[in-house]
Amino acid sequence: MNHLGVMVILREGICPGINEEFIKALQSEDIKTVEDFVSCNPEELAQKCSLSYKALVAVRRLLLAQYTAFPVSGADLYEELLSSTAILSTGNPSLDKLLDSGLYTGEITELTGSPGSGKTQVCFSVAVNISHQLKQTVFYIDTKSGMCANRLLQMLQTKTPNMEEQMEALQKIKVFRVFDVFSLLACLQHLRSNGLQKASVGGGSVKALMVDSVSAVLSSLLGGKQNEGMSLLIQVAGELKMIAKDFNIAILVTNHVTRDGNGHLKAGLGQSWSHVPRTRVLLQRVEDAETSSLRTATLTKSSRQACHLVEEFDLCHWSEERRTSISGKRKLEERSKP
Amino acid sequence: MHRTVPSLPLAPSVKVKLINAGFQLASDLIDMRPLQLCKEAGISQEEAVEVLQMLRDDGQPHQQRAATESLTALDLLHQEQAVGSIVTFCSALDDALGGGVPVGKTTEICGAPGVGKTQLCMQLAVDVQIPVCFGGLGGKALYIDTEGSFLVQRVADMAEAAVQHCTLLAEDTEQRQALEELTVEKILSNLFLVRCHDYVELLAEVYLLPDFLSEHPEVRLVVIDSIAFPFRHDFEDLSQRTRLLNGLAQQLIQLATQHSVAVILTNQMTTRVSNGQSKLVPALGESWGHAATQRLILHWKGLRRLASLYKSPSQMEATIQYQITVQGFRDAPDEPRPTTASSAVSSPSGNHSKRLRMEDLS
Repeated sequence: MNHLGVMVILREGICPGINEEFIKALQSEDIKTVEDFVSCNPEELAQKCSLSYKALVAVRRLLLAQYTAFPVSGADLYEELLSSTAILSTGNPSLDKLLDSGLYTGEITELTGSPGSGKTQVCFSVAVNISHQLKQTVFYIDTKSGMCANRLLQMLQTKTPNMEEQMEALQKIKVFRVFDVFSLLACLQHLRSNGLQKASVGGGSVKALMVDSVSAVLSSLLGGKQNEGMSLLIQVAGELKMIAKDFNIAILVTNHVTRDGNGHLKAGLGQSWSHVPRTRVLLQRVEDAETSSLRTATLTKSSRQACHLVEEFDLCHWSEERRTSISGKRKLEERSKP
Repeated sequence: MHRTVPSLPLAPSVKVKLINAGFQLASDLIDMRPLQLCKEAGISQEEAVEVLQMLRDDGQPHQQRAATESLTALDLLHQEQAVGSIVTFCSALDDALGGGVPVGKTTEICGAPGVGKTQLCMQLAVDVQIPVCFGGLGGKALYIDTEGSFLVQRVADMAEAAVQHCTLLAEDTEQRQALEELTVEKILSNLFLVRCHDYVELLAEVYLLPDFLSEHPEVRLVVIDSIAFPFRHDFEDLSQRTRLLNGLAQQLIQLATQHSVAVILTNQMTTRVSNGQSKLVPALGESWGHAATQRLILHWKGLRRLASLYKSPSQMEATIQYQITVQGFRDAPDEPRPTTASSAVSSPSGNHSKRLRMEDLS
């Protein structure tokens, strides 16, 4: 069933009762798609097109039956969710705590932060954790050439000294390098139509997809007199959501930050994008810290936890993080040093 | 094909007409004839031919293939180990960068005036040409100068010093043979220089770069010195500037990856006032900070020149000291080797950089 909607062109044979004269008569009234047809009043149409009213009603009923979406009961939906959702650990207990145990499949989680705040490092850590610990395939879409297999290897080496295990884990991470939004859309659509199924057949299902970063390809298209940017942003969002839902995959995307009028940091891509991820985390450097690799993660949007939870972690070694959690507005300096 | 029509790289006006005519998927379009498409969608014949050409393009451009083919991280690891990096002749900096400036990535060098950005760029333009048997890349360089700060005499001095250094290192016959061809004239002739006077010329040059790099596959380094200068003057619409810069950054990243070149961009510093304090930060705005893959900030501390690696996907943050001498960009005197973790890619040129520190070449 074409779940993209009813913008299907009216052609002979898509439904009994539609033949060439029928289509020609409709085209003279500027009705070309199924959507145009079902939104018209059959009585008026019968008069204008000199087609039989009965025939029009019959065709209309058939088309509606063929292209309507079916409602699902809430209980069925809940059952399905319980049996299919998985929570993937990020490999870092502080982050897991912030995300209420980790990345949820079927949802989009966003990481945002200033340059050098650790977004790509967190993505690497999640990829390594899923491929090594959970032994599942990870798809990594890299738009900024930030993927560094050496760093992945370094991270794997802290988890296991066994070279074979390291190589196996590296083979489970599949990298796509795209540099503009059309290639990104081509990649996502390819994954949705057959890429993901192929990967699951080969052994090791795909449970995670990362896009680093989504703002690199979209931010130059938004604003000014450009009229296509928003449409492309929504298409990217749509593809990601469909992939997350249809294949039960956890999606992690990274976004850049900009400064607003008051000098405060806010996530890029504007209001329209802010509704797309289910959970948003802001990564920041810790000012005047002794070790420059300390970072804080703040939960800025979540449907499960209270917002503004903060966790601190160290980028250095994923096994040695310091854990302190603050909620509310207490300043960072008041926290006792571990 | 499973592409949807709205996601195709076509002109927006053409796409709107196609969508209104009811075409939803690329597969709806692919079997049509130009005249038929023309009539149904109401687009001109040239546009129809263009659309069908784009869809049927069998000689798929590199990008299309990349979008549907993936590499495993293991393949990437092998690729990374094969590709080299460009030494800076400052061993501390080379260590911090994991062997040198990486090929295939974009590196941004920010700094206040006079701290040594252009010196480092000119040094790299010479160092990329060091022959493979000495641990270099043996490649050519393209230098895009927007400020007019490129001095041929200075590059000649640096080239002279580099040749002398290699002469001292030559041990076997292969190296001696390569040395015979390595002269200051040859180094200068392998350095392509482009002068851009404003941002339009710069954008045009970057647009033409893929063709240039295809014609000159030995080019391993592209330097844009500086990218800030043309964009900081007379730009009224700041949001347009941000968009242009972001688009430019993506084009450069694509170039670096597809043609296997190291791209260096130099940036200026600006002052940001917040909470009554002023701080020196890289220019061109917050979102530009996300553009380059690696960021190096050169700054003064008293009379010392320091370089800090601020952002990198594979290296830890580190701050090292360097100096500018008659021979070029070098280690600071009496500076102990930093103990930052080096990456798995061992630099074959680490050997001769160390030697340089101990000998006085003047």
